[in-house]
Order: sequence, then C-alpha cells, then structure tokens
Amino acid sequence: MFQVGGIFQVGTFIFSVISFLIVFFIIQRFAFKPLARMLEQRRIHIETQISEAEKSREEAERLLAEQQRLLEEARKEARNLLDQARIRADEQAREIVQKAEEEAARILEESRQAIVRERDEALAAVTKRVAELSVELTAKLLRDHVTAELHKELVQEAESKLGELVC
Amino acid sequence: MPVFPTLFPGTIWQTNVVVIATIFLTGLIVFVLLRLAVARMDMRHPRGLQNLVEWAFDFSESMAKDVMPSEESRRFVRPLAFIMLLFLFVANWLGLIMTITVHVDPHAHIWGLSPSDLQSAKGDVELFDSPTSNMSMALGLAVLVWLISHARGLRHPVKWFRHLLRHPPFGLLEEITNPLTHGMRLFGNIFAGEILLGLLLRAPFAFHFIPWQLPFIIAWLLYSGFVATIQAYVFSILMCLYIGMKSFEADNQH
Repeated sequence: MFQVGGIFQVGTFIFSVISFLIVFFIIQRFAFKPLARMLEQRRIHIETQISEAEKSREEAERLLAEQQRLLEEARKEARNLLDQARIRADEQAREIVQKAEEEAARILEESRQAIVRERDEALAAVTKRVAELSVELTAKLLRDHVTAELHKELVQEAESKLGELVC
Repeated sequence: MPVFPTLFPGTIWQTNVVVIATIFLTGLIVFVLLRLAVARMDMRHPRGLQNLVEWAFDFSESMAKDVMPSEESRRFVRPLAFIMLLFLFVANWLGLIMTITVHVDPHAHIWGLSPSDLQSAKGDVELFDSPTSNMSMALGLAVLVWLISHARGLRHPVKWFRHLLRHPPFGLLEEITNPLTHGMRLFGNIFAGEILLGLLLRAPFAFHFIPWQLPFIIAWLLYSGFVATIQAYVFSILMCLYIGMKSFEADNQH
C-alpha cells in the first residue's frame, strides 16, 4: 500500500517543486496579474462611482434648497406686489369716486343756480308785463285821466305789489 | 496496490509521472479559470464566475492580512496565497472527482514501469490521481514554502538568527517539524481520503448484488470533499503564517 505515495522519492520531490514553480509563475504572470489589475480597477471604479454619486446627491440637494429659496422669495415678492397694487387701486378708486361726487355736486349746483336765475328772469319779465298790462288796463278804464307821472307811479306800485305777491 | 508510471526508474531521480502531469493539469485548470474570469469581467454586473473568483481573491487577501505583519510582506504573499489556495483546492478535488487505474499484464514490459513493481502491484497501474496524495509532492510544496520563508528571513540576517535562537532547542527544532507537519498533514488527509474511497469502491457487493458500501461511499466522498477544501485553506494559511513569521520588515516600521 505504501508504494502508492508513501515512499519518499527524491526525483518526484524535486520535479514536483519545479513543476509547481513553473505553473505558479505562468499563472502569476498571465492570469493573476491581469486579474488583480482588473479587480483593482473595478474597486477604483466602484469607489469613484460611489463618491461621484454622493457628490451629485449633495449638489442636487443644494440646488433643490436654492430652488426652494428662490421660489419662496418669488412668492413673497408676488404677494408684496399684489398688496401694493391692491392698495393703489383702492386709493385710485376712492379718488375717482370722490372726484365724481364733486363733479356731480358742482353740476347740480350750477343747474340749480341756472334754474333760479331763469325763474327769476321769467318772473321779472312776467311781473313787468303784468304791471304794464294792468297799468294799460287801468289807463284804459280811467281814460285820459292819467298823466305821465301818474302812469309811472302806477307802474311802479303795480310792480312792487306784484313782486310782493309773487315772492 | 497500484503502481505509478515513473521516469528514471531505479535511480535516485525516480519521478512519478502522474504527479507531474496532474500538477500541470491542475495549473491548467486554475489558469483557464482565472483567464475566463478575466475575459468575462464586467465592471457593472459581476456574474457567477467573476463573483467566485473575486470572493476567492478577497478570501486570500483577508487570510494574508490576518497573519502577515507588514504591508510589504502582504504584497509579497498575495499572489502566492491566492494561487496556492486555488491550486490546492483543485488538486485536492481531482482525486475525488476521478481516479483512473488500469489493469495490465503483470509480466508485460511497459515503458516507465519496472517489472518487479508491476508484479507486486498485480498489474494495477494508476494513471490519474490527486497530485497532493503523493508524499514527495506535498513535502516538496512544504519545503518550498520553508525555503521562501527563510529566503525572506535572511534579508535581515541578524533578526533571522535571533529569531532562530529564541528558545534554544525549539527554535531550531521547529524549522524541521514545521515543514514536515505542513507537508505531511496535506498528504495524509488527501491520501487517506483517496485510499478509503478506493477500498470502498473495490469492495465486493454483499451476496454479489447488495451495494452495501454505497451510503459509505457517498458519506466518505462528502467528508473527503470537506477535508480537501479545508486542507487547501489550512495549507495556505500556514504558508502565510510561516512566511509572516520570517518577515522582519514589520520591526523596522515600529
């Protein structure tokens, strides 16, 4: 049984060491080195990928915060503008209403004055005419008993009486 | 028991051809495996073989990291540990996957076989086997590791000498027992597994038809596979340990 592997053979010993060394150096040169290099590359690749991902995530977070800040600012500004515009509009509206009211009051006043004046004028004209008519009538009734002076007096009296009557 | 074809039979250079051939076969398997892994390497989507090789790479790396004292020695031992681990793993499994024994006429004259050996083996010639189930080969690897460790140790001769004489008799004794146990452990485990497997396979059926040994064969095959894997690891980590013990650069760094 011990002939199988049990006997120490110097030749086998030396040649197996030499064969192993040959095999080792071939594997080391043509398989291990490229493998180790590729694994190293892969490790570096993964590390850079991870660090880049982290960096871009930070960048994205920064940008998002910036965007939110800007949005908030814009919203605030818009609200300010809207408030200002509303205030100005209110003022303008009030001014316009006030002006319109003043204008209306002025027109009303003018119209009223015109009416009064015209009525006065009309009344004056009517009074004058009635006085003349009544004087003429009186003169006709009295015929020739009226002098020019009396006539004048009568007219004046009639006018004043009529004026009292009208007013 | 079977006999192996040999080179230079009857001289001191008598060499087991099967061992040499299976060493190269093992090397070829490892080489093809690694080249396939390199060729199929994908930066983004690692798959099957690449994962396996990467795992083995990390495993040997952590093995070296655990026992090596300095970064320089770690870098030195890294390819050795990785290749030794894979080489021994494949080599130990070869004999479990298959052993080939042919039967020839015991009285025939065949090249590479001495007539007396052939007759004592009753014509059984072993043609395929684990290289590590050969004592000379296993001791050869152990002595190679021993030589490497001392070659590294002798780069700092004073420390090497002082280390050798730490505990006067034992330091020197260790230098003999370490490579001996290192090689014999590997050889013994693999050889025992194969021998028992061979005996079970050759055992006759009970009553010529009951394969009673089948459960034993399966159980022993599983156990031998476990032992083959473990021994590859044990040999590699002891190799790292022995080389690490003789790496004195770490002392310079502190």
